[in-house]
Amino acid sequence: MKRYNPFYFIGQAFEGLFRNGVMSFASIAVLMSLLVVIGGFTLLVTNIDVNLEQFGLINQIVVFCDDQATESEVEDIGIAIGKLDNISKVEYVPKADGLKQMKESSEVYKDVSEADNPLPDAYVITYEENDQVVELDYQLKQIPGIIKVNNRLELATTIENFKHGVMLVFVWFLAILSVVSIFIIINTIKLSVFSRRNEISIMQYVGATGWFISLPYIIEGAVIGIVSSVAAYFIEWYIYSYIERLVLTDLQMITFLPFADIRGYVLWGFIGLGVVTGVLGSMISLGRYLKQ
Amino acid sequence: MIDFVNVKKAYPNGTIALKGIDLHIDEGEFVFVCGPSGAGKSTIMKLLLREERITSGKLTVEDQDLSQLSEFKVPYYRRKLGVVFQDFRLFPKKTVFENVAFAMEVVGTPRSQIARRVPAILNTVNLSGKQDSFPHEISGGEQQRVALARALANNPKVVIADEPTGNIDPKMSLEIMSLLIKINKIGKTVIVVTHEKDLVDYYKQRVVMLNDGLITEDRVGGMFNEEV
Repeated sequence: MKRYNPFYFIGQAFEGLFRNGVMSFASIAVLMSLLVVIGGFTLLVTNIDVNLEQFGLINQIVVFCDDQATESEVEDIGIAIGKLDNISKVEYVPKADGLKQMKESSEVYKDVSEADNPLPDAYVITYEENDQVVELDYQLKQIPGIIKVNNRLELATTIENFKHGVMLVFVWFLAILSVVSIFIIINTIKLSVFSRRNEISIMQYVGATGWFISLPYIIEGAVIGIVSSVAAYFIEWYIYSYIERLVLTDLQMITFLPFADIRGYVLWGFIGLGVVTGVLGSMISLGRYLKQ
Repeated sequence: MIDFVNVKKAYPNGTIALKGIDLHIDEGEFVFVCGPSGAGKSTIMKLLLREERITSGKLTVEDQDLSQLSEFKVPYYRRKLGVVFQDFRLFPKKTVFENVAFAMEVVGTPRSQIARRVPAILNTVNLSGKQDSFPHEISGGEQQRVALARALANNPKVVIADEPTGNIDPKMSLEIMSLLIKINKIGKTVIVVTHEKDLVDYYKQRVVMLNDGLITEDRVGGMFNEEV
């Protein structure tokens, strides 16, 4: 069994990084920017989702029953709702529970008595597909005994559209910055390979295998990826904490995920993406030089 | 051991470097490959090192058909060869010892074996006292001897030298040639590509003359044909 000295490969990788210091720095800077942008967008989308859920805007419709409806008629309404398509959950909220919730939500309603309860019986419906909600809204209005369908569709749609817009920008940013990052890394590694082309040719003449020659460059790409990821992590942390403080001070109704809860995902996500991009860049730039 | 059978080589730019050569070299032979510029000497080197593939014909080294050799197997094939170049091609930032050891590291030789074998090889090429020197600290002849030591590091069966005396003075050239003869005497097949008439005539070994992509002479104990 042949044994190779791992320090040889690591040493060669760091030699390459420092020999082409400016390009290495450029690669790290670009990859780091890419990761910060990706991380930023991901966290924004995650927080939008959390808030949508918090407000109950995602996939929920509340229908109110006719105040004059009997207990069995209200029960029939629930059965009719349950038979519709695109429904995942139907929850009955009797008028007494509705009043209780109303009282809990605001001091203004604390003196409202059971006898003066203005609320009818209601059903909270959770549906599956947002794009079929207009049909669902229509079908609900056709059920006898339902006096109002409160779908908050407009607000939900606005927020959903915003989310989709953010996602679209995110995907474009991701694509463009990924290409730019890989391009710069390719050039960095190419410079490194070019400056060592004589060494590579000697290695080839003495019988070095492709992986023996490439491993230092692959490690070089991975190191660029790791350094970028760690730097991006700290920048993301700083920016996120700054926004978190702003939100907690000025926009208290918005829920913001604490960074401590997501730091693991951010760090490992960055490292994974950074290393893959770095290694990919190295492998692309090595291709031509590795022809025996 | 080495067989060229009607080997032709044409490059993508249309140059026909070899027009169908037949050449057989036995194990343990010493062969000078001579000829003017453009005769096809470098192409023979490139084909033997499997840097280039033949266009037609058949080239075998130790019964291994080089045209069938996959890219993956090329490094393992090259380990059977020791190569010496006119410009030495040493690592400038490595010592003499490290330059020789590198060829062994590349093939995964254990350190203990490297530590034992490198001084012995350096002794063979009369460089025992220079193992800690860097290439720029030694003469051209000594640098070529380091290259020769590196070529021998993995105990190859064939040593190929491309103009090994092209960059060194006549006295050192004789020393290098003597070393190549010495290496041949220990059983290695040695192929020397050169255009240095005096050396070829002095050593009276087998001489293969090339001109315009064809072998014009192949004579044991031959002389350099000046007319070519």
